[in-house]
Amino acid sequence: MAKIVLETKVLTKRYGSVTPLDSIDMQVKGGEWVAIMGPSGSGKTTMLNLLSLLDSPTEGEYILDGVGTATLTEKERVAVRREKIGLVFQQFHLVSYLTALENVMLAQYYHSMVDKGDAMEALERVGLEHRTDHLPSQLSGGEQQRVCIARALINQPAIIMADEPTGNLDEANEEVVLELFKELHREGRTIIMVTHNPELAEFADRVVRLHHGKVVKDA
Amino acid sequence: MFFLMLRQSFFRGRRRKALATLTIVLSASLITALMNVSIDVGDKMAREMKSYGANINMVPKSEAIPLEIGGVDYNPLKDRVFINESDLPKIKEIFWHNNIAGFAPFLKTTVEIAGNAKKRINLIGTNFDRQIPIAGDDEFRTGVKVVFPYWQVKGEWPGDEEPAGILAGAALARDLGLKPGDRLTVKGAGDTGREESFVVKGILTTGGAEESALVAPLAVVQRLAGMEGKVQSVSVSALTVPEDKLSRKARQSNDSLDSMEYDRWYCTAYVSSITHQIEEAIPNVTARPIWQVAAGEGAVVNKIQLLMIVVTIAAFIASGLGISSLMATTIMERSREIGLMKALGAADWEVYLLFLSESAFVGVIGGLLGCLAGAGLSQIIGLSIFGSYVSFSPIVVPVNVAVSVLIALSGSLMPSRLITKLYPAEVLHGRR
Ligand SMILES: Nc1ncnc2c1ncn2[C@@H]1O[C@H](COP(=O)(O)OP(=O)(O)OP(=O)(O)O)[C@@H](O)[C@H]1O
Ligand SMILES: [Mg+2]
Repeated sequence: MAKIVLETKVLTKRYGSVTPLDSIDMQVKGGEWVAIMGPSGSGKTTMLNLLSLLDSPTEGEYILDGVGTATLTEKERVAVRREKIGLVFQQFHLVSYLTALENVMLAQYYHSMVDKGDAMEALERVGLEHRTDHLPSQLSGGEQQRVCIARALINQPAIIMADEPTGNLDEANEEVVLELFKELHREGRTIIMVTHNPELAEFADRVVRLHHGKVVKDA
Repeated sequence: MFFLMLRQSFFRGRRRKALATLTIVLSASLITALMNVSIDVGDKMAREMKSYGANINMVPKSEAIPLEIGGVDYNPLKDRVFINESDLPKIKEIFWHNNIAGFAPFLKTTVEIAGNAKKRINLIGTNFDRQIPIAGDDEFRTGVKVVFPYWQVKGEWPGDEEPAGILAGAALARDLGLKPGDRLTVKGAGDTGREESFVVKGILTTGGAEESALVAPLAVVQRLAGMEGKVQSVSVSALTVPEDKLSRKARQSNDSLDSMEYDRWYCTAYVSSITHQIEEAIPNVTARPIWQVAAGEGAVVNKIQLLMIVVTIAAFIASGLGISSLMATTIMERSREIGLMKALGAADWEVYLLFLSESAFVGVIGGLLGCLAGAGLSQIIGLSIFGSYVSFSPIVVPVNVAVSVLIALSGSLMPSRLITKLYPAEVLHGRR
């Protein structure tokens, strides 16, 4: 039985009278692939922001790798995120004036040390070894997303959190990205992925459905 | 990696940086020009001020009070003390010789116009524009043309050599109906009884007593008066620094200065130290500042320099504000990038460092380009206002680069506080 790496207790986020996330109780085991689904505005991104420590909850508790996160300082939160979590964003978010390779190296730089060889390997892994010196504007959407994934992987995070990683991609690129996630899953990484796509969710161990900020189904 | 980012952000985001750099270039060039001009303006203005005439008057030490009635001197020349003309080049040999812009000797005698024995008029001998032999400077020309630039001649200036031409004062010319080209014979009023004949070259307007006199080359007047090699007074035009506490103290009495103060006073181009040095160089003369002129010059130069400083500060503030708003826009535009860096684990100070380094770099580049542009601008100012080039002071370059960096940094400081306030969650997951 794998140990629990991620646990939330009555996790709640409120913006004034809006409650995008309402009393979430959830546990994720090491190596598990969890898909988060739900209609637009149901609180998926809000939840991922809380889980990736980009945001803090109004109420409730979030325990990451056995450590309560409520008492962490901003600096410690940054450190935990850097060490444990690889982030893939819905809208790519690459630095426009840096090449694919340099964008990957940027994550190394803020994490520890820059290693060009490792960064090359990560790009090779996502099938971009021939586009390392291109700027984001010279890459297709699918290629940009793969750079983001390479960047999320570069520091060997145990947990990967992705917000609609295929939301902006066509089918062929979706397939490439899906294969990557399957491979990561096989390597034993914990994956939390927000998606609208049921085909993608099929490969997950578990699908969590949100509606109006509440978990309506967890299977 | 940091420098890589800095470099790439520059070379691949050139257009974005161009505007900020341009702002700095503009302000830096303005500041360079103003600095250049204000460093040089003291000298330039002082020279300009010389158009208001001589600021030092030199007379023999024991000159008897002249007996003048109606502007005509009745005191016979022969009983009086004179300055030797041969001593005059020594004025250009004093410690502050470079600050002596020019001098003009004067010898005045009374003459009668031939055929008009009742009329006694003054004949002033002087140098118009004469080469004076000075050791180490064989191009030194001086005379009333240099010392009194406001003297106006209708017709032409006579030469200092023979055959002698003469200037007729405007009032006198009107009285006698003289015009350029007329011939005129005068007879020495004293007992020499010599006669000289001149061609009137021009009609002189000065606003002073010269307008009712004749002005002739010095040598001719000396001969006519039998006073070869003598002059009565010398008007000296010197570039001086404004009076201050030290010079005022020295003015009361030289003895009140201690030796350090004395050295400092002696080695500063105060009008009083220059007159002192002239008296040292030429025995038996008294050199006196013409205070109205000397004091006025210093005050005006001071005011102009102050004005320059005020304008410089205004340029500084204006460009600081410009950079500040540009920087704020940049941070807005790059908020995703900042959010991303933070999400990747960058600390606030690391983001600050990147943005402030970019600003500093913009400052350095803008400052250097601004120096170039400013050097050109100051020449334009110099040419259009003073009609001459402004000398370029090398000190302006480092000062300007430092100032530009300071402008860029201080302009960036306020908006970069936005960096701290920026939450990655807000900018990264926005639905475009
Ligand atoms: N900063 C905020 N202030 C106020 N309300 C917010 C804020 N952020 C999110 N919300 C609200 O919270 C709710 C959930 O938002 P969230 O972004 O989590 O939805 P989502 O499930 O990710 O939707 P989508 O599928 O469209 O991405 C929405 O109704 C949204 O308007
Ligand atoms: Mg969302």
